[in-house]
Amino acid sequence: MQGLLDFAEGPLFRLTFFIMVLGFARVFILAIWGAVDAYRKAGDKTIAWGTATRKTIGWLVPIRSVFTHKPFYSMFSILLHIGLILVPILLLAHVRLWETALGFGWLTLPKTWADLLTLATIVAGVAIIIGRIASSNLRFLSRKQDYLWPLLLIIPFVTGYICSNTAVTPATYQILMLMHVLSSELIFVLIPFTKIAHCVIMPLSQFIMLIAWRFPAHVDDDVCTTLNKKGMQI
Amino acid sequence: MRTEVITPEEHERAFAPTKKPEVTERQKLSVRYHVEDYDIADRPRRFLEAFAAILKHSNYRFALEHFIRMTTRCSKCAVECPIYQATDDPHDIPCHRSELLLNVYRRHFTLAGSLKGRLFGTGHLTNDKIEEMADSFWNCTACRRCTIECPAGIDHALITHLGRYILSEIGISPRALVVSVREQLEGTTGNTSAIPLPALIDTLEFLEEDMKEEKGIDIKFPLDVEGCDYMFIPAVSDFLIEAETLMGIAAVMKATGASWTIGTQYFDAINYGLFYNDRMLERIIRKLVAEAERLKAKNILIGECGHASRSAKYFVPTHCGGKNAIPALNIMEYTYEMLRKGKLKLNPNTITETVTYHDPCNIARQGWVVNQPRELIKAFCTNFVEMTPNREKGICCGGGGGTVSIDEIRTYRTTVGGKAKADQIRATGAKYVIAPCANCKKQIRELLEDQKIDCEMIGLHDLIYKAIIFDESNKSIDTENQKG
Repeated sequence: MQGLLDFAEGPLFRLTFFIMVLGFARVFILAIWGAVDAYRKAGDKTIAWGTATRKTIGWLVPIRSVFTHKPFYSMFSILLHIGLILVPILLLAHVRLWETALGFGWLTLPKTWADLLTLATIVAGVAIIIGRIASSNLRFLSRKQDYLWPLLLIIPFVTGYICSNTAVTPATYQILMLMHVLSSELIFVLIPFTKIAHCVIMPLSQFIMLIAWRFPAHVDDDVCTTLNKKGMQI
Repeated sequence: MRTEVITPEEHERAFAPTKKPEVTERQKLSVRYHVEDYDIADRPRRFLEAFAAILKHSNYRFALEHFIRMTTRCSKCAVECPIYQATDDPHDIPCHRSELLLNVYRRHFTLAGSLKGRLFGTGHLTNDKIEEMADSFWNCTACRRCTIECPAGIDHALITHLGRYILSEIGISPRALVVSVREQLEGTTGNTSAIPLPALIDTLEFLEEDMKEEKGIDIKFPLDVEGCDYMFIPAVSDFLIEAETLMGIAAVMKATGASWTIGTQYFDAINYGLFYNDRMLERIIRKLVAEAERLKAKNILIGECGHASRSAKYFVPTHCGGKNAIPALNIMEYTYEMLRKGKLKLNPNTITETVTYHDPCNIARQGWVVNQPRELIKAFCTNFVEMTPNREKGICCGGGGGTVSIDEIRTYRTTVGGKAKADQIRATGAKYVIAPCANCKKQIRELLEDQKIDCEMIGLHDLIYKAIIFDESNKSIDTENQKG
């Protein structure tokens, strides 16, 4: 078991993390490349950069949405996102691992705060799953992955919390820790290829929306030619 | 925004078939709008060919790539959609509507989707899916409210716009729009209402006489004057049914000593291409610019019309010169500027009844023309009340996206599409609702009638015509171009 855990925490972690970073780079570069290419082809290059920036900041800090529509959904969603970003990066145990690997560390969350945030993340994840099941609209819209993602995302939080806060036998600890590490690694591998890729390309959305409405000039002829409609009546 | 769901009886009326069963059978298309007969053979293949051709020559692909990675299906857009609010049908949630096309894109235009589809033999485009898109994309009024609250930044309106474009390339588009555009681009009259030039000239002379009688001064509609500051061009339907709006505009131009003209070779700002086909959008823009260039006009001044203003402002630069393109502006921008500079005088007590203002989506959603009309209204109305929400978040009249021109779906428009707007107008208790847009005017007029709301729809310049004060200098001015 220990050997397996060592493998999961060592080479497998490095591999999956590398895949995630590479995947992030891929989707981000593709999005930027697409936007730059579209902008280059656009007949009208006037873009309201300021408006797009303002809206982007608004959605990166979406406090306003709590007070507009679906307040519970918005609140739990924000909580889940905060937990997903802060806990993996600022938890003391994680920073120690980084220190070992990189030779330097950074600020950590106090244990009480980390525990509270972990519990809040778990509650938010469960609430989002329940909300999706309970709402007929969301049931109608949802794919399997829309239910599975919050479930998968909270597994490392649940296992991590149990390992660090409850007295369990060494064997149970190892099993839980293995689940903790493997589920995290599964998340790393899947993120860049699924909707969770939004964590890196979301800041581009408002800009892409504006650029997408800037059409290239002279497309009429080209489309007509490709569709063999040249000279045809409307 | 919350509006009550329509009753089952209203639902039945709004969604009742409008076509004979044999037409539906012949066209293999169960949609409420009328479609010209088209080639029904092999529709999925032809749809995909059209989709591929459009992707090849447009900027849509990068946006679709982004959207398929971003979509989280949170349904926050449902709260913003006036259609969904009225029907409570999840098929009307913007996110679902977008998925209809995004699924086609994923399955047929991405490597992963294509491999998965071939491996499991699922997800390919079928006739049923085409029919669902043809129905759903024209249930939407393209008001773009759904984009406001999408945390992922998915532009559902752009996806609907693209979906309509692809469908139109295989012959599925509302007949009303296609016939109008055909007349505008290939017909003898060259405009969507098929008004012959002599009839236009007669109408304008008649209006000039009316204005002379009512205001006691010569107010002209100058025709074909070269080198003017403004080539004025309204939605052509204004010449038929919005005479007072045109008189108001002519009066403003007279009072402010503007150098302006109306072209006789092309006098229709309507651009239905914006609603169903980018190729038509481009052709109409080129025709508009050709007329402005013929007249050597310095600016294109669009009348009270939202979509015409938006298509000119954003697509004249796209297709005709980028940053060097002839600037296009909306008439309310001009009139407000004149008021601000003190060149336009309005009687502040002209309208004492309660007045409210409807924001046309195409000029308000991006925050372009929102303050100008309000400042103008406050200059001649003593009792102005806002609808809620308003400005950038304003609610569609229910006839947006070209649907107002589809007469056979009037019941749908006034029962479902315009339900939220009707509730808003009713809540203000206003005597007048100002709608400075040709599409919104027609829709709101029908909405007030069908929903039995005791309120009068009116154009902004119709009221300005009542409020305008001509001083002595105006009466003596008869500039060269106004003799034209």
